[in-house]
Amino acid sequence: MSLAPAALSSLLDQEAQATGNFPDTVRTHHVPRAKSVIFLHMIGGPSQIDLFDPKPEVNRRSGEPLPESLLKQLSFAQIQEKRPQLMGSPWKFRQHGESETPVSELMPHFASIVDQVSLVRTVRTDNTNHMFAELMLHTGWQRFGRPSVGSWVVYGLGCESQQLPAFMVLRSGMRPRSKASNYSNGFLPSRFQGTPLQTVGDPILHLTSPAGFTQTRQKQTVDAVNALNQLRFDLTGDDEITGRIASYEMAFRMQSAATEWLDLSEETAGTLRLYGIDDTDHPSYARNCLLARRLVERGVRFAQLFHGDWDHHTNLEVGLPAQCKATDQATAALVTDLSRRGLLEDTLVIWGGELGRGPVAQKGNKPAVAAGRDHQIEAFAMWFAGGGVRPGQTIGQTNDLGCLPVTDPWQIHDVHATLLHLLGMNHTQLTYRFQGRDFRLTDVHGHVKTDLFT
Amino acid sequence: MACFLQKLLVAFKRPALAIVLMPAQTPAIEPDVSPATIDYLREVAPIFKARCLECHGKTSQESGLRLDRHDRAMLGGDNGRVIMPNDATNSELIRRITSVDTDKRMPPETSPLKAEDINLLVQWIDQGATGSSDSSGEPLQHWAFQPIRRPAVPEVHDDHWVQNPIDHFVLDSLEQRGITPSPVAVRTTLIRRLYLDLLGLPPEWNRVQQFIQDDCPDAWERLVDELLASPHYGERWGRHWLDLARYADSSGYEADTPREIWPYRDWVINALNRDIPFDQFVVEQIAGDLLHNATSDQRIATGFHCNAMLDPGVRWESIVERVNTTGTVFLGLTLGCAQCHSHKTDPVSHREYYQLYAFFNEASITSFERPEVDGIQAGPQISLVMKQSPQSTHIFRRGDPAQPGQPVQPAVPAAFNWAPALTHSDHQTRHDLAKWLTSPKNPLTARVTVNRIWQRYFGLGLVDTENDFGTQTPSPSHPKLLDWLALDFQASGWTLKRLHRLIATSQTYRQSSQVRADLTELDPHNRWLARQCRLRLEAEIIRDVTLSSSGLLSRKIGGPSVFPPQPDGILDNRATPATWTVSRGEDQYRRGMYTWIWRLTPHPHSTVFNGPDNVTACTRRDRSNVSVQALTLLNDPSFLQCAQYLGHHCSQNNGQDDPLTVRALFATCLSRRPSRKELMILLRLLNAQRTELLPVEARGITGRNTGDLIDEAAWVVICRAIMNTDEFITRE
Repeated sequence: MSLAPAALSSLLDQEAQATGNFPDTVRTHHVPRAKSVIFLHMIGGPSQIDLFDPKPEVNRRSGEPLPESLLKQLSFAQIQEKRPQLMGSPWKFRQHGESETPVSELMPHFASIVDQVSLVRTVRTDNTNHMFAELMLHTGWQRFGRPSVGSWVVYGLGCESQQLPAFMVLRSGMRPRSKASNYSNGFLPSRFQGTPLQTVGDPILHLTSPAGFTQTRQKQTVDAVNALNQLRFDLTGDDEITGRIASYEMAFRMQSAATEWLDLSEETAGTLRLYGIDDTDHPSYARNCLLARRLVERGVRFAQLFHGDWDHHTNLEVGLPAQCKATDQATAALVTDLSRRGLLEDTLVIWGGELGRGPVAQKGNKPAVAAGRDHQIEAFAMWFAGGGVRPGQTIGQTNDLGCLPVTDPWQIHDVHATLLHLLGMNHTQLTYRFQGRDFRLTDVHGHVKTDLFT
Repeated sequence: MACFLQKLLVAFKRPALAIVLMPAQTPAIEPDVSPATIDYLREVAPIFKARCLECHGKTSQESGLRLDRHDRAMLGGDNGRVIMPNDATNSELIRRITSVDTDKRMPPETSPLKAEDINLLVQWIDQGATGSSDSSGEPLQHWAFQPIRRPAVPEVHDDHWVQNPIDHFVLDSLEQRGITPSPVAVRTTLIRRLYLDLLGLPPEWNRVQQFIQDDCPDAWERLVDELLASPHYGERWGRHWLDLARYADSSGYEADTPREIWPYRDWVINALNRDIPFDQFVVEQIAGDLLHNATSDQRIATGFHCNAMLDPGVRWESIVERVNTTGTVFLGLTLGCAQCHSHKTDPVSHREYYQLYAFFNEASITSFERPEVDGIQAGPQISLVMKQSPQSTHIFRRGDPAQPGQPVQPAVPAAFNWAPALTHSDHQTRHDLAKWLTSPKNPLTARVTVNRIWQRYFGLGLVDTENDFGTQTPSPSHPKLLDWLALDFQASGWTLKRLHRLIATSQTYRQSSQVRADLTELDPHNRWLARQCRLRLEAEIIRDVTLSSSGLLSRKIGGPSVFPPQPDGILDNRATPATWTVSRGEDQYRRGMYTWIWRLTPHPHSTVFNGPDNVTACTRRDRSNVSVQALTLLNDPSFLQCAQYLGHHCSQNNGQDDPLTVRALFATCLSRRPSRKELMILLRLLNAQRTELLPVEARGITGRNTGDLIDEAAWVVICRAIMNTDEFITRE
């Protein structure tokens, strides 16, 4: 039974009706290579020297003090010792793929996809504090209040999906220190904000109708609500009501579309094995990777994943293998899965932390606690795959001790400028006027790093 | 001199070389030789332009010094003033252009200024270094910095339409554009509008009927007065103020530990209900602790700035936040821009920023326990308050606290020194700052405040950048109206209720909000106010309206914050664990403004409906229109509970007359009678439910287990539908 008047039904049938959730303005400046992004943020700062950037010199000189000349150039977060000692990596590296990229034994699955990624080993950031480094990574600014990358992307590209919000946020493990500011719309209109999924209960709040409200009854209700709204629109002429009608229709569709999206029973056992998912009801990083693939399949523009904690100040030998074990297989599976479905060519996958870790030992605060590594902001690793990224290359060289860039220093602003470029946007032209000033994601900085895609 | 040299050397990080300030080869300074008055624009500015602006101009400001505009040149740079009027010898600018030390001499790495140019600058400074009278475009000429002058109330053609001076200004600008205003809204809309605007609660139906039947000419005025006298007025407008105060029940940052500060929230409510003059309202919040014989209430009022987030060990960030909030809330200035360098567009230097910082640096935050009065108070009331505690303040060079520069004393920006002789003592305090903010000569506080209040009634301020009145802000839509209101506000003793009454009794306010085809191109944003506008309600008010319509609302005012139900998982994985033990009894049904605010993990109802971030002062909330809002109103158990409660009563009292009950529901929820079409839509939905509902579904929908629940469940469906309409969450 449909209560909606004919005019209303036809209005709702217009899938192209751009209101509320789906802004239709496209602000591209050139032909995009990618149309969606999956950003895998490894919170806390993975130790690149133990994973992607082997340093035999550090292994050789393990236990020796860090040279005085370098000490002055590094910013530690916690180490207070006058002469911290170099600490070699306990893990072995081997070259993999045709690209012969060296990868640590801790990431056997990543080793299998190295020919599909561009590894950048010389990214730098500006602040040793996690909270501010996170804000830098996500908003290009070390303080609160600026729009996040995902919001800028949706502002620039609009939304493809009529069924799901364009910018979704999935998390496993710890919450990022800067919380929702990492996916905030800042001063952009609020429809550009990331929609965070819950980690327990309903992944989307109130997605499930209350008991007794069958799908038919929910539809009857939404139709009646919208019929009343339509009458009010006829009387007042207020476009917000049209937006409200659309958002109720979207909400109703989301209840099934998001439910369908979250229903992993249609995935084959082989796919679940690929990701390493044993129990599809159990929230995990692996499940989020699979959900992210399903999001880009459904036209969602920006899937932001968070996973932590990689902040191994102590007990590196226990903590780092544990995080690798929790994520390595699923991360590689995501790239493989996107690739075999033909989705990788227009999906940009980014992996990285807000900062990295240094070559010296941070001693445990008690004798029984093993050493770890302190933050390093001068050089750390991120990798990129798909979406026009040149596969199978390594960019950037660090010095013998892995603590300073020797070639190709990348600022976080460069990461942002390059990301926008791959999505068809010029970072100097994607602006939003706020309080009398044209703001950019890259502020007054940023260079497109053409090495990444040419 | 030794001290000056030392500062100079520290500031420029140069080796301590001896500096010969007046080398023999520079021309002798003989100001008396040429008594002719130097013209700034014609003679001085060209020298600056030719030799200085490359580094000290609009695009680049080495050491924060800018010489392309007279006012900026007079402000000096990061290291203080460089031009001392009437004292060329002691002006750093002259010292630098005449230095023999090539590391010091300006301009660097090039030939020195010509002798006649140096002479001219010396003479100009010794004559007082004044700017030209026609140097228009300078900040102090900016409209918002001008004194407020009482404008004449304009004559209008249609003098039947106008009710008070507001209408004269509005109608005058409409008539000039050939636009006719809209008719008065229907009475049902009017009373609901006023209730929502003044109290944030919907009117009860019998009050609506009483108003509809009230034929007295002053029916509306009496209604306005009645609502302004309601204690819920303080809640409604108090919550607006708490947005500015970035009020929350926890410290923020990673730790986000709980805070006792709700007595400040209650102080705001009470102060507004008592209608204490706004200048006093401000003084008590900035400096209540410094008042003579400060009362407990006055000390609690200083909670305003205790609300700043606090990252343990990073005290300076809280102080910076206090300076910035002071700028936003009272002055409409983006002072934060001057934290790292002199403000690019407004006359606030880097140094002056830290002079403001010094006011708040000399305060510490402490817990204060309100003494019990005659044992009336139930339980201890502890609240965070401010206390004076001396501290020295230095400039943070480039905004970096690790690079302290010159020491500074508390002072207000020189360009805004509209209230001379702030204090008799030589050391200014927050009390001086507060008096400066509320001085009748301060043109900003009244304009900014009146504009923000106007914005609540019309969706848009007369100045639409309500948080920025700086030099980049264009003139208001109705400049004379803004000034008339601001001056009336000051002259009437800063009484807010008078201002509310003026606006609410204007014909402008009472217009219909119906969109007019003839205005969509002419005035798409309704700046000329030829109609009212529909505004989606704020997060808290959506909750209040729903609870109130259902009959569940507790009208208790004030007290500790409460914990209504919230979905699972909101507080997961916090660095510092937080609890949410759901309140019992009436505390589960309190107004939204009493819900406990964990700064980093606020109740999702607030985030979904664009509540403030509780981090910095929020001067305007978004009104987004997204599907997760629909999901909340449809499926959130707290909202369903309201529909269940109301549906139960419908079923109990129905008495076989469905249309009558639907009409009553409409009246309760929307303050009006339904049209025949609306009635039909709901009756069809009702009857479909009665036919289709299964007993098990009815149990789920009603949340009950016994009795014939089909009819009750059908009514719950109807109530839920009405409570999901756009109109229900909109002020029309």
